[in-house]
Amino acid sequence: MQHISLLAFNKEKCKPFFDNLTDLFYEHHHSEQQNPDEYEKLLYMVKRPYDNNMLDMIDNWMGLGNREWKDETTREVKLALYAIKYPDTLLIDSFTSNARSDIHRLSSYLHFTHHTYAIWDEDTRKGLVKLGISIPPTDIADPFIYGAYVSAIELLKDVAPFTCFLEHDVPRQRLFQAALAAYGRQD
Amino acid sequence: MARTDIVEDYSTNFEAWINDFNDWQTRIGFDPSWLGDYKFDIKFDWDTAGNQIEFGDFEGMPKWERRMQIPQQNIRDAIISMISVQGDTEFASVEQQNHLLDTAPTEYDKKSALRIMCEEQRHGWQMAYVLCTYFGEQGVREASKLLERNAQEGTRILGSFNAPIDHWLDFFCFTHFIDRDGKYQLKMLSTSSFKPLAASMGPMLKEESFHLGTGANGLRRIVKQGVIPCALLQKYLNKWISTGLDLFGTDDSTSAQWAYVYGVKGRYDERESEIDADREHLNEASRDLYFQELRDEMRRISSARKEGEPELFIPSDKFNRGIGMYAGEKYTITGESFEGTDEEYGNYLISVLPTDEDEEKLMNDYMKKDWIQYREWKGK
Repeated sequence: MQHISLLAFNKEKCKPFFDNLTDLFYEHHHSEQQNPDEYEKLLYMVKRPYDNNMLDMIDNWMGLGNREWKDETTREVKLALYAIKYPDTLLIDSFTSNARSDIHRLSSYLHFTHHTYAIWDEDTRKGLVKLGISIPPTDIADPFIYGAYVSAIELLKDVAPFTCFLEHDVPRQRLFQAALAAYGRQD
Repeated sequence: MARTDIVEDYSTNFEAWINDFNDWQTRIGFDPSWLGDYKFDIKFDWDTAGNQIEFGDFEGMPKWERRMQIPQQNIRDAIISMISVQGDTEFASVEQQNHLLDTAPTEYDKKSALRIMCEEQRHGWQMAYVLCTYFGEQGVREASKLLERNAQEGTRILGSFNAPIDHWLDFFCFTHFIDRDGKYQLKMLSTSSFKPLAASMGPMLKEESFHLGTGANGLRRIVKQGVIPCALLQKYLNKWISTGLDLFGTDDSTSAQWAYVYGVKGRYDERESEIDADREHLNEASRDLYFQELRDEMRRISSARKEGEPELFIPSDKFNRGIGMYAGEKYTITGESFEGTDEEYGNYLISVLPTDEDEEKLMNDYMKKDWIQYREWKGK
């Protein structure tokens, strides 16, 4: 996926985004809506062995409702959180439909347990589209769409000048995902 | 804007060096399994490195891409020396820090520290690769020395990199103050006339930013928690900042001046600055920028302190210096000349720098409590 993206990738289109990345990150990540203190707390609180309470804390920060999953579905997802290796997303394909039903929830679990996978967010997707990286909208955790999303953010990290990398201890994927979300919202 | 190139094939010299590196990891007690999926890639950002020499007496000429393009042996020696010092610090910091993993205050801190150590090793690899690949036998010899000197034996090139890091307060001070000096050195080399060196810096700078963020946030979390008194924290700041300032080298440095003349090492703000360099005071100019940055950062960290705690501050750049015009002179932390005997000054230093008793109190009292925000995971 990354190779395909690279072939069609217009670096010049990214310049305004990279020039303003620092401000864009602050605009999104440090907004009241994003609750950065709670985000930071989750980085420290979510740790192995993962339990349901940790997933609840993530759901709460994400503003998602309760998981309406059977116990075995939660167990299946928790086991996958141990097994999956960044940047693989194909493991998602083996999930039951219930576990795959919400990409926001699943991506946030992956983010806080691995600190590498990016949280799925519609504004972020729009930000990528503005940079010429076309990712289709979805609510379901499609391994190929989410894989493209993860790879695209990884590609931007690779191409960005070092001045984009803030002295911040949030994962670098969060740095770019948050900035993209703010960029995607701009007219 | 630039894409990072990752080198796929290594020279025989570098392959041999990797064997020595594996032995070094074993020798210092760094378990390779800790790396997980992390790979020591050799990364170059050729676009950002630029094609023309940007400053000094060779300005406007094409950047040198191979050893034989470098016009004089003394310039080659200067470049090798810069790369060796940079590489030396990378491996030294891992030697200083790897014993801390067992006592990490949280799992995230452990992961962050491990990532920092992985990336510092990668930076060391990068410097060793440049030495082995571009500088023949001389480079291979210098690359070997990167693994022979040792922080615990006090044989690393720079003072800060021989200092023991006994606990996590030292770790956060180190990543905040000493890695910040590293950021300055990398940025000064990012405009180098030797293109492989300049092109190495972009990817290294990207990684360094997380190290600084970890240090700054760690200190802020300690201050916010309020268990370790600010008066004690101030003593550790006094200790680490003076050594950080020393890392910029001597005043009126002729070697910095020659490095500038050769275009090997620029100013921190070389590409942004609109004024000509004061070639006789290059180290001082970079140190002043660093010092100002420390003050700005400390205001942010200090603002997290609990009510009634004294403000944390950056001590005077004259205090406790080992290098430069204030080296060995008696100054207070606020920059006044100390009027008194050597013995009285010795007593003064005891009052403003960490003592054995302070260390004891820190590690066996404060650090037994929840001394840092989010300390839930208590290590092994």
